[in-house]
Amino acid sequence: MPNVITANNLTLGYESDEEIIKNATFSIKKGDFVFITGPSGSGKSTLLKSFYGNLAPRSGSLVVGGLDMVGINKKNLQELRTHLGIVFQDYKLINEWTVEKNVVLPLWISGYSTEVQETQAKRLLHHVKLTGKEHKYPLELSGGEQQRVGVARALSKNPFLILADEPTGNLDEYSSNVIWDLMENACHQLDTTVVVVTHRIPMVFNIPYRHFTIDENGSIYEVH
Amino acid sequence: MKFIKGHISLIFPLIAILLGLEFFIVFDRTTDSFEKGLQAGYSMIVVSKDEMSIDDFKAWDSHIEHVEELEKSKILKRLNMNKDKAKQKKFEVSLPNFYSLKLNDYLTVDELEAVKSNLQKSSNIISIETFQSAYQSKYELFSFIKFSFQTFIVFMTIIGFFLIVKQMEVWNYLHAQRMKVMEIFGASLFLRSKVLINMALIDAIISAILTSWLFYLFKNSWVQGSQMEILKDNIEGVFKFSDIFILLFAAITVVLIAVFLVVINVKEE
Repeated sequence: MPNVITANNLTLGYESDEEIIKNATFSIKKGDFVFITGPSGSGKSTLLKSFYGNLAPRSGSLVVGGLDMVGINKKNLQELRTHLGIVFQDYKLINEWTVEKNVVLPLWISGYSTEVQETQAKRLLHHVKLTGKEHKYPLELSGGEQQRVGVARALSKNPFLILADEPTGNLDEYSSNVIWDLMENACHQLDTTVVVVTHRIPMVFNIPYRHFTIDENGSIYEVH
Repeated sequence: MKFIKGHISLIFPLIAILLGLEFFIVFDRTTDSFEKGLQAGYSMIVVSKDEMSIDDFKAWDSHIEHVEELEKSKILKRLNMNKDKAKQKKFEVSLPNFYSLKLNDYLTVDELEAVKSNLQKSSNIISIETFQSAYQSKYELFSFIKFSFQTFIVFMTIIGFFLIVKQMEVWNYLHAQRMKVMEIFGASLFLRSKVLINMALIDAIISAILTSWLFYLFKNSWVQGSQMEILKDNIEGVFKFSDIFILLFAAITVVLIAVFLVVINVKEE
């Protein structure tokens, strides 16, 4: 299986801060489901940000989807991002847009027709158990429902890589289970690579997964 | 209500800027012809020992555009000295030459003084009458009105720009989150700013139309009934159809710059 993410001696840090991730070397293959855990402030989210180009590597190399993230230009980064599905703890939905419009945002950006967008929105909203709520606005939904919209949006363009930052951090058990089911299915049925940053790996998880952990010093280990 | 408020808060400052611009254009047109009128009505009188041609005058000062020699017989007639033909002929021969000079521009008082001193350098010229006090009072009144009006226009435009800056802060607050999310999912700069551009362009068009309509009314109602000769004499200059395009271009330029500044200042978290 080809590598989707390859890091070699990767070091990450914010402008004036000290290094957060130090000399990380790892690779993630197509179809892998990866959990990244670690104490608060260890750099889990920082690492995830580097995968979608929100943070440039300070040193070392990082290749995502065949693109070198060191010095990547805007055009390539935009192109890469249209093939990623990203889920955030705070959902990052567009509050003035309906649920349906939020779900098809990646399709709209890529210029898909209205018919394709409508069909895909219907299918995904059925998957995330939000049928009938397509014309509601995010702030009219519960936190769990909003996160399901976020996951539907991440899945809408069949991305090759899903990146999720604490996707169940604010959710009740029911919503958390729905989210994990969706991600398991994406990985298992569509062979999508999934990388999830979380504090806690779910007790019941039905597919094989890899587990990376980051210690307080910013070193990454594969533990499972 | 929120929708209308959002549009009015951009349309209002845009109209302020466009009114300033259109007033400036109209003022420039009308004062230009007024200046030409003042210039045409003004002439200085020069007395010389020998005859002088226009080139002789121009050699001393390039502002001189037209020279007219005043007939000595007419001068004598005015002085009521035409009773005795022989005496008149003798007197006429002994008189110096009188010229009325017209200038090529509406000069300031200082420039007028400079023309006078240039001409005085000629040993042939005996006397120069510039009628400076009449000229000066007209010039100063005109300059004062011009300055007051231009200050008002500049002030109005500055206020308009401040209101637009304020509106840009509102836009940033309302649209930043959406643009950040779109950027994360790979939207181009154009797509991210599309909503804002559409809204701003509509407001620019509305503002240009409203401003044009105000000036159309100003031209066809107020100016027609007013006593302001300067405007009535130049009624065509008060509002021209082509001004709509100037206003539209200015409004679109201002809003596009404002949108661009908002969009490039939205940084991904």
